[in-house]
Amino acid sequence: MTLKILLLTAFGGAFVTYFLGKVSSKLRNYFAVFVSLTLFVAVACLYGKSAENFSYFKFFGNTLVLRVNSLSWFFAAAVSAFGALSVIFSLDYMKGKENLDFYYMMMLLVNAAMLGIVFAADLVSFFVFWEIMSWSTFLLISYSGKNALPAGIKYIVMSLIGSMAMFFGILSIYVNFHTLIISEIARGIVSASSGYKIFILVLFGVTFGIKSAVMPLHTWLPDAYTESPTPFSAVLSGMLTRMGVYGFLLFFYVVAGASFFFDIDAGISKFNYILCWLGAITIVIPTFIAMLQNDAKKLLAWHGIGQGGYMILGIAFGTSLGLAGGILHTLNYSICIVLLFMSVGAVEYRCGGVRDLNSLGGLIKKMPVAFAGALLGISGLIGLPLTNSFVSKWLIYKTLILKSHPFLAFAALIGTWGTILSVYKFLHNNFLGELPEKYENIRKSPVSMQIPIIILSSAILLFGILPGIPLKVINTIITSFGFNSLNVNLWGIASETGTLNTINIFTAILIAGSVIWMLFRVGKKSFPVTQDDNYAAGAYVPAGKYNYTADFYAPLFKIVKPYLMDFADKFFGWLCRVFTGFSEGVRKIYAGDVGYYVLYILFFAALLFFVQSGGKSW
Amino acid sequence: MIFYIGSFALVLTGLYIAAAKKNLIKIIMGLSLVDTGVNLFLISIGYIKGGTAPIFSNAAIPGKTMVDPVPQAMVLTAIVIGLAVTALALSLVIKAYYHYGTLNVRKIKELKW
Amino acid sequence: MVVSPVLLIAVPLLLAFIAPLCGKAAKYIPPAGALFNLILSVILIPTVLKSPMIVSIGGFPPPFCINLFVGPLGIFFAALISLAGFLISIYALSYIRERAVGKYHTLYLLLLTGATGVVLTGDIFNLFVFYEILCISSYALTAHNAHWHRHGTEAAVKYLIQGSVGSAFILLAIGMLYGFFGTLNMADLAKHIARAHSSVLFIPLTFFIAGFGVEAAIFPLNAWLPDAHSVSPAPISAIFSGIAIEIGVYAIMRVVFTLFGAPLSVMSVLLIVGLLTLLVGEICAFRQNNIKRMSAYSSIGQIGLIVFAFGLATKSGITAGLFQITSHALSKILLFLTIGYMIYSIRMKNYPDKYVTEIEINSLNGLGKKMPLTSLGFAIAAFSLIGFPPFIGFSSKLLIVKAALLKGGIYAVLMGIALIATVIEGAYFLKVVQGIYFRKGEVEGIKENNVFILVPFFILAALIIFAGIYPGILTKILNSSSGELLNRIGYIGRLPG
Repeated sequence: MTLKILLLTAFGGAFVTYFLGKVSSKLRNYFAVFVSLTLFVAVACLYGKSAENFSYFKFFGNTLVLRVNSLSWFFAAAVSAFGALSVIFSLDYMKGKENLDFYYMMMLLVNAAMLGIVFAADLVSFFVFWEIMSWSTFLLISYSGKNALPAGIKYIVMSLIGSMAMFFGILSIYVNFHTLIISEIARGIVSASSGYKIFILVLFGVTFGIKSAVMPLHTWLPDAYTESPTPFSAVLSGMLTRMGVYGFLLFFYVVAGASFFFDIDAGISKFNYILCWLGAITIVIPTFIAMLQNDAKKLLAWHGIGQGGYMILGIAFGTSLGLAGGILHTLNYSICIVLLFMSVGAVEYRCGGVRDLNSLGGLIKKMPVAFAGALLGISGLIGLPLTNSFVSKWLIYKTLILKSHPFLAFAALIGTWGTILSVYKFLHNNFLGELPEKYENIRKSPVSMQIPIIILSSAILLFGILPGIPLKVINTIITSFGFNSLNVNLWGIASETGTLNTINIFTAILIAGSVIWMLFRVGKKSFPVTQDDNYAAGAYVPAGKYNYTADFYAPLFKIVKPYLMDFADKFFGWLCRVFTGFSEGVRKIYAGDVGYYVLYILFFAALLFFVQSGGKSW
Repeated sequence: MIFYIGSFALVLTGLYIAAAKKNLIKIIMGLSLVDTGVNLFLISIGYIKGGTAPIFSNAAIPGKTMVDPVPQAMVLTAIVIGLAVTALALSLVIKAYYHYGTLNVRKIKELKW
Repeated sequence: MVVSPVLLIAVPLLLAFIAPLCGKAAKYIPPAGALFNLILSVILIPTVLKSPMIVSIGGFPPPFCINLFVGPLGIFFAALISLAGFLISIYALSYIRERAVGKYHTLYLLLLTGATGVVLTGDIFNLFVFYEILCISSYALTAHNAHWHRHGTEAAVKYLIQGSVGSAFILLAIGMLYGFFGTLNMADLAKHIARAHSSVLFIPLTFFIAGFGVEAAIFPLNAWLPDAHSVSPAPISAIFSGIAIEIGVYAIMRVVFTLFGAPLSVMSVLLIVGLLTLLVGEICAFRQNNIKRMSAYSSIGQIGLIVFAFGLATKSGITAGLFQITSHALSKILLFLTIGYMIYSIRMKNYPDKYVTEIEINSLNGLGKKMPLTSLGFAIAAFSLIGFPPFIGFSSKLLIVKAALLKGGIYAVLMGIALIATVIEGAYFLKVVQGIYFRKGEVEGIKENNVFILVPFFILAALIIFAGIYPGILTKILNSSSGELLNRIGYIGRLPG
């Protein structure tokens, strides 16, 4: 029953928050934080439990069921943690905006729906929560108005396409196996024909591919991330998009079953290799497109797509190592990207909503906490040693190398290069370099923003140095899929082909670091120079108008830009225009002339007549 | 048989008028023609050549020579309905003329698409 | 104590003609009549579920008299009609207050009478008569305030012309059936048709479908619908969309299933026609600027889905279709009523002297702040129509897809195509929702404070959510209703003698 109460709290809390907002906005804020923290604590208390079949509802005579196991716990914990952090972050960020009751309600509702998704043990509740998540996300994306509106429509249309595919798949499964409970389906599907299984997997693949923005289906993501309120961008990138990964795991490994998943032959190549290649493409192209962006959030958004590729790559490979890497990367990436979005949010909040990378810079002294967060965040994204993603990327690379897929490994590496270039641009243009004059009086970020940033930064270091903490849970997940258990200890993974031990790395870096530090101490002190000294060949440069962070990487742009068109977006745009034209044409049927209308009736009668007579009338 | 042919001819003529004519009044006349045709059809179903009214006033008349009363009842109802529709239609046409200044349906096309 | 179902028809009919005599109190008569009907039909439901009631009128036994056949299907529709009629008439209490007020109430009650009569009667000609009552009052209601309303007149004329052609077809078909079998009682006719091996029976069937299809708004007979539904005042649009077209569908299904035993060829035609109606309706709605016209096209789409579900001709398909009828009625009524209130408020602010019944989508921008309850109602209705859980539209879509997949094969493929329509529907409805909530508009001075208008919103929204979460409350009556449609032998067997 606990799960039922947990979900009731989650959903009820959302609505209560709305009504509390009518009473007092302070009360509402505290209550929202309280609910989200309660949920986190409640989920945390479920650690290690594994229970099926809390039936909680009857729907058309089908019992709807909840369950908790290591997979759902892992995701639920992440969901509730990120949810709580972004609600806390919202406190100051959203201050003074309108419709806040609605905003907090939707934040909690999205959270509740995601919890529902991961705890659902039957497909109907899975779908119901999935759809609640979709529409509440839609409302939150559109929240800011103006540019956000097309972004919202783009999101919901793609999401609807995905959910219709899933809806079809779910009911097809139901009709064929007469059950909706996931574990029973998993038993039943073994006997299904492989054509049917591929059909189901493709349907669900489309759904989750859209949600987790796999390359040709990613087009909703950049706009949606950019235009939603920043705390929600964090949720969106951190967890909501990763629901797609959860879906992949659930359907490929739990429902379809791992053994089957690797045996399907999709004609040209194995099914999972196709996914791998999609993952690889998703890594490479978006990370370079990210480099071209000048909007801080858009840059991060493209990263969101790119890093999703690593997860898909890891998951689709389906060895213990790869799977562990994929799942771990989901968590690690989420931590990093949430952190980064929060730093952007802090900057945006203080700079009056400016996110344009060409006009910012030098905020390091003004907003040290945000800078620290951003620094750790990008280190995490790149995968520097001692940050969390180092471990997960190491696992993924290792899988690729062990399975001898040099091209995929190369793609993953190129992706990392792109990541380095673009996130450095992000860090540099926000925090380093020269501070524009108008930002001279900027204050530090408020406490409610610092807390989540500090927590997430420490999480990056913690999971980087002690990767065993998440890996232990992940190990139980992959064993529950039927894979071999990994030899996990607190410091890393011991395996026959090379042991990961973060303690060694830690020591090595510590030694190297102190050597470098000593060298710096010995060497000459650096001193700051003014811009006029060495720049523009001595010519006068008006300081207020010039910002040297503008057009970062300009020469590189020129080289890569022609290759980095977002073809998928162009294609979908074209499709929309074609459809619009088509519907303009179809409308003309209703021509407004009643003579035609009478003719339609006569034609219809004649046609019916012809069909009914079996075509024998003449 | 001639009644059937006649009634269908009436119906088809009426439909043709409704579909092809431009003038609203003509279209309504066409609809009335359709109605008349249908009514004729109904009557002819129950018609017996040389039959009498279906009233048991004289026991000498056998039931078989009476025309079927049910279609007549139907037709009465249908006529009333037709009358109502025609009256409503004509009053609407008056209003349409008042608003649009024309009875040409090709010109009364503000609602479309 | 068992009350006679005749009252369901007689009371509104009587009230319709009392209403003009009551002067100012006339507006309270439709709610009273509809409430009476609602209570009566709900009382009758348990009795009818046990066994259908047959009421002979005129003292002769069937098939020699006109009789009412009150089965689960009929009583379900009667309850739905009176529920919708009741809520809409409460709304109309304060909405309809200009010019032709008295006539409105008479016509409205006549429309309810006609609709109830169609679903309860057991006699094909009687069905036609009630159908005509429904149609004629619809024509007149479309032209409500014709003197001030240019578009209303145009729509009414066009509706009338198409409707009359349809009616002529129906009457022809009835005449033919009478000519073949010499009876008008539907059970009796069904018995004869079941025995007959005539190759000409498809002619009346064709005429029936083409005739009732006009009111049921199946493609391509639905050209009147976007006009009529968009130009009439909100309560009238609501009753048209929520009840009138569903009655057309009911008539088609009654004829096809009960009289003709659902021959495969007809069912597959209906399936295709339903699919086409669905797609055409949604595609046309996609490019509308006028909010009411958009909703009207969406009605076409929903009707298409209903016909599609019926076209499956399985028990689950029919149940799903009936469920979809319920869900569409509730959601679309709520949608039209909320839109109507928004239009009303905007009009009262901007041009109080003009008679405006329709408006551009952009004019609704920003209303979410000024009319929160109305906007919420609109959003709930739109979400339900798209089929988002936890609203009732989700349950009905689930049933339809399930029914199609149960049949499998080509039906599953067609269902897949039908689901595309949902995506289109989502695109255009959600754009409006966005506009209402997140766009800025000139909404100064607009308020919502009319209790009579807000109460129906509340009831409808509550029903939509409640039935969406507990769809089980409807399953029993819908199952026996679909059983009634499919069980032709049972229907015939009710015939005494």
